[in-house]
Amino acid sequence: MLRKADNSASWAVAASLVLFSIGGILTTVVPPLVDSSWAKPFENSDPAKGPTGKLTQLNELQLQGRAIYVREGCWYCHTQQTRTLLADTKRSGWKGVDSPVSTPDEFVYDSPHLFGTKRTGPDLSRVGGKYDEQWHRTHFRNPRDLVQGSIMPPYPWLVENPQEFKAIVAYMQSLGRAKNWRPNEDYEQ
Amino acid sequence: MQEQLSRAEVAGASAPSGAIVHEDLSAKWFLVSAVSYFFIVGIVALVIAAKFVWPDLMGTIAPLSYGRLRPLHVNGMLFGWLLAADMGLTFYLIPRLCGVKLWSEKLGLATAGLWNVIILSAVVCLLMGWNQGLEYAELPLALDILVVVAWLMYGGNLFMTISQRKYPAMYVSIWYVMGTIVWTAFVYLTGNFAVLFTTGVNQANLNWMYVHNAVGLIFTPVGLALAYYFIPRSSNTPLYSHKLSMIGFWSLAFVYVWTGAHHMLHGPISQWLQTISIAFSVMLLIPVWAAVYNFFATMRGQWHQLRENVPLKFLMSGVVFYLLTCFQGPMHSLRAVNAIVSKTDWIPGHAHMAVLGAFSFFAIAGTYAALPKMFGKPLHSDSLANWSYWSFMMGGLGFFVTLWLGGFWQGWQWNNWAIPFIDTVVALKPVWLVRFFSGILMFLGIVLFSYNVLATALGAREQKA
Repeated sequence: MLRKADNSASWAVAASLVLFSIGGILTTVVPPLVDSSWAKPFENSDPAKGPTGKLTQLNELQLQGRAIYVREGCWYCHTQQTRTLLADTKRSGWKGVDSPVSTPDEFVYDSPHLFGTKRTGPDLSRVGGKYDEQWHRTHFRNPRDLVQGSIMPPYPWLVENPQEFKAIVAYMQSLGRAKNWRPNEDYEQ
Repeated sequence: MQEQLSRAEVAGASAPSGAIVHEDLSAKWFLVSAVSYFFIVGIVALVIAAKFVWPDLMGTIAPLSYGRLRPLHVNGMLFGWLLAADMGLTFYLIPRLCGVKLWSEKLGLATAGLWNVIILSAVVCLLMGWNQGLEYAELPLALDILVVVAWLMYGGNLFMTISQRKYPAMYVSIWYVMGTIVWTAFVYLTGNFAVLFTTGVNQANLNWMYVHNAVGLIFTPVGLALAYYFIPRSSNTPLYSHKLSMIGFWSLAFVYVWTGAHHMLHGPISQWLQTISIAFSVMLLIPVWAAVYNFFATMRGQWHQLRENVPLKFLMSGVVFYLLTCFQGPMHSLRAVNAIVSKTDWIPGHAHMAVLGAFSFFAIAGTYAALPKMFGKPLHSDSLANWSYWSFMMGGLGFFVTLWLGGFWQGWQWNNWAIPFIDTVVALKPVWLVRFFSGILMFLGIVLFSYNVLATALGAREQKA
């Protein structure tokens, strides 16, 4: 086949497409068919099996906040995944409680996905419920007022737009809360 | 073999009988636009590097905030500069390798026009924050469709040229260009259209398949096509082995597409898929070493040419960067290494060595080598070209090395959770400062390169008038 392809453009194209599609199909089409957890929303009521809770779809305000998160490119610097690394569960943890690792069933409704590739700022997969609205207001206006040495850009245009500010905060408070892992530690308590 | 000349080389005189005269119009337009975007987007690159050091710089203007400029930098460099330059150079080399004129210069010019419309609209969209939220696939759907149309025009033109070729045996560069055209179509459709019908981890898996193969099956094969053409051309030495280049091509075709999931190692995606992606990432060493050995063996006994030959300097440095970046890739796919460097500043260090150090170096070399032929006159200044090489080289090395070291350092700090996150940010500030100064050097390289290209191009036009 390869010798034939050496002198024939159509053979070369056909052969390179066949080789490409083996890996292409096995790694993109097959996995979601094999692994049902990719499409099944998280739900657990048995504490023996780990954190309890249920993944719900975002409401309209939270979705609006998510769109702002996408628009402003927050996802270029903040990941949303607590990986299977001890350090990640400690860093996503809160007040001495380690965070559970992120699982595919927590992201079933996400589009676009916001897992991210770069952590210039901290991971946000479990940030929901940690900081109240006043904290976020100050932080978005100028991050360095609250966190000395931070290099996050200021976002005055979000704070000055009440609707957008409410939306982005509502979205951030929703992050990572399908799993109920720190029942008495949130600011609302 | 027939003599091949460009229209400018013939310059009004009647061509020697039997010679093939290439118009090179499409190639010229693509190259000149690509070089202009290289310069403009280079400014954006400097601004975002500066924002790491001075985070309040232009901080209160929404369209100029980091989150808007970063995708402009990435898309502008990938599609405005590198892919456009690659398209221009393949419009130059494919007709020459086939011994026929480009099938349609009109279609090629229309493709160049459409490509410019796409890039200029992309600038507006990204500054306005009209971002689809998927890496490398940020552009709105309407522009994605235009990209597909432009790609069909480009691919159709080259395939028609190849089908009319005079030489039955196909040189390896033709293979890589055909591979690029076909794979890009599928990879692009997956990354920009198929993703829209999925959510969550499934979507992320498709997205990473696209992101990885945008580099692996678009910029790698077309970059290698340039290297396989211009290394023997510039050194005036035949390629070491056609057979070895075939091994490289077919292993690339088979191995690359499996590796997308290595972007989510330790993340919320099935462990077995992570393991597959690691295994195939390590196998990438086969196509890479096959190509690199071929290039080094071609240069055996010819290394002294590097002293004088600027395109060859860029080409062989690009080969070394290609070898290094493709050694990093498999190594940081290993779980133990990934646990340290993933998500750190190592990653931009690695990405820049691939896209700038390897593939942009090939494209710059190709531009320097093809320009005198296309415009029928010597390059505006060989000495400026040499200076541009050293600016790119010093800036690039400064950038790559500090980010690798900084990335490892950052990863080790993250893995010690006794260190608060903000302290790991503050610790990296010297790294980002060095990155900014390296960026200035790289930008100086861009300025010298684009000035030289435009001076050669415009000078050529004056001569005619």
